[in-house]
Amino acid sequence: MLTKLDDYRFIVPKSFRDGMNVEGLIYADDELIKAIEHDQTVMQVANVATLPGLVGRSLAMPDAHQGYGFAIGGVAAADLNKGVVSAGGVGFDINCGVRLLATGYTLEEVKPKLDALLNQMFRDIPCGTGKKGLLGGLDARSLDEVLELGAHWAVRNGYGTEHDLEHIEETGKIPNANAGHVSRRAKERGHDQLGTLGSGNHFAEVQYVAELFDGEASRTFGLRPGQIVVLLHTGSRGLGHQVCTDYLEVMQAAMKKYNITIVDRQLACVPIRSPEGENYLAAMAAAANFAFANRQLITHRVREAFARVMGKQDVRIVYDVCHNIAKFEEHTVEGEQKRVLVHRKGATRAFPSHRPEIPKDYYEVGQPVLIPGSMGTCSYVLVGTERAMAETFGSSCHGAGRSKSRTAARKDITADRLILELEQKGIHVRGASKSGLTEENPRAYKDVSRVVDVVHRAGIARKVAKLVPIGVIKG
Amino acid sequence: MQEGYRILEHPADVGIEVHGKSLREVFEYAALGLMSIIVDPTGIDPVEQRFLAITGTDLENLLVKWLSEILYLYDGQEFVLSDVTIERISPRRIEAFVTGDIIDPGRHQFRTDVKAVTYHQLKVEEREDGCMARVFLDI
Repeated sequence: MLTKLDDYRFIVPKSFRDGMNVEGLIYADDELIKAIEHDQTVMQVANVATLPGLVGRSLAMPDAHQGYGFAIGGVAAADLNKGVVSAGGVGFDINCGVRLLATGYTLEEVKPKLDALLNQMFRDIPCGTGKKGLLGGLDARSLDEVLELGAHWAVRNGYGTEHDLEHIEETGKIPNANAGHVSRRAKERGHDQLGTLGSGNHFAEVQYVAELFDGEASRTFGLRPGQIVVLLHTGSRGLGHQVCTDYLEVMQAAMKKYNITIVDRQLACVPIRSPEGENYLAAMAAAANFAFANRQLITHRVREAFARVMGKQDVRIVYDVCHNIAKFEEHTVEGEQKRVLVHRKGATRAFPSHRPEIPKDYYEVGQPVLIPGSMGTCSYVLVGTERAMAETFGSSCHGAGRSKSRTAARKDITADRLILELEQKGIHVRGASKSGLTEENPRAYKDVSRVVDVVHRAGIARKVAKLVPIGVIKG
Repeated sequence: MQEGYRILEHPADVGIEVHGKSLREVFEYAALGLMSIIVDPTGIDPVEQRFLAITGTDLENLLVKWLSEILYLYDGQEFVLSDVTIERISPRRIEAFVTGDIIDPGRHQFRTDVKAVTYHQLKVEEREDGCMARVFLDI
């Protein structure tokens, strides 16, 4: 049974299942908790709480839903000496993330040219299944550089600027990445996928700033009413997926040696300070860097599309956040400053002002937290808070969260009907596949506004701006 | 239970449930089921054959590794399969010939990218009246 702590917090007590080392804490209101209790999410939060060496609580954000091992929307921090790293706790799509681009254009300026702009983007950004990347196949040396340098590699090769790098989590390069710990297979899967959107829930959306909630933060992030922005959602593609697959095997095989027993095979883990743990973290960082470079190359194509259709590119990065990652961070644990490993599986870092990790120009307000909504609804920009630091290891939600399976979603509506409905709302759609579109229809998701309201009221991030789409490109 | 594979629902992704007379059939159907999620199998010609030998720690691990191999063939080697013949299978090893073709976007109709094969609610059962397996994929 869950214990309701207040309007937005539910405790999963240690009595929920055998072997829990810490409590669980789920952020939700009375409505969202029903959806969360409907599937295996609560059990997965409890399962994560059985992992050795966790500090604080096993957390789930209001968009949480059943995942593999960890719930999607799960956050867990591990002690560096007693704790473990779990490949499943990061997930298959390592550094799946979101990047927000702000343009110098207004809704009125873009509207008449929207179809041309979408056509250009749809032509230039490879999306959907089986599409080749922007640079074709990378040779082994270049790929290794991408893995170790991330977005810095892209900028060095002419795809972006230093200003871009300052506005990416970790400046687009996670340190200690080692391409040598990424398997040949992972490289084979990834070498021709750099600069591709992929399929599933990945997208590029042209949106406008519809509402501002926080004057100072929106000014600092450079957001104005009616401004056109572009939101990108993609990750590390086949390369990252294979890294996770490879290390699940490594971790399963090594667990015996470390006397670790787990309640779900997908939670396979090893001590952080073990050769297997260190190798995984070096490979994970490399895959994360691939994802940063991927979003950087797609940004380049968005800029080219704006230049061609609108006359000049005028596109700047507001921020770029990881959704699936494990990071070494300083947090206060039971009154003590401590370095811990924070797993975020479908969750966003949400650091407040005055943290050294955030861009200099955002230092006084905090880190932008980017929350994509379901296709054709709306997305949000939030800002990190002190309360997130105190309660969630500086983490917040990452999206609307699915409420229906893909099969069920396909039964909701036909692709043609969905496209018509979206057109009637003023949203133009380009999709690589019809089934892909229907699987991502907004009825298959929770209400992102409700999720964001819970986050805002619970105080683990603060609303800054609401973004409404006018153009959707879907893989 | 009808032999063959069927696609299962999961809040985020999809699964495959397979029934067959033997483990051999179950592993063959599972591979074909995975391929059918990625690409329309009717368009794949049996042009090329490859031999696979996979080892695992137990049947469930073997199924994940087997399907991960099929996924790697697609995503890493651009090979889509139309048919599978398992030569030998034991709980810790599988040897098989897979037949198929190199991806040609002009001829092959893609459906969905599959990211990975998971251990979520994974099951392989050998029963007197036949075998079954269930596996979920991250999409």
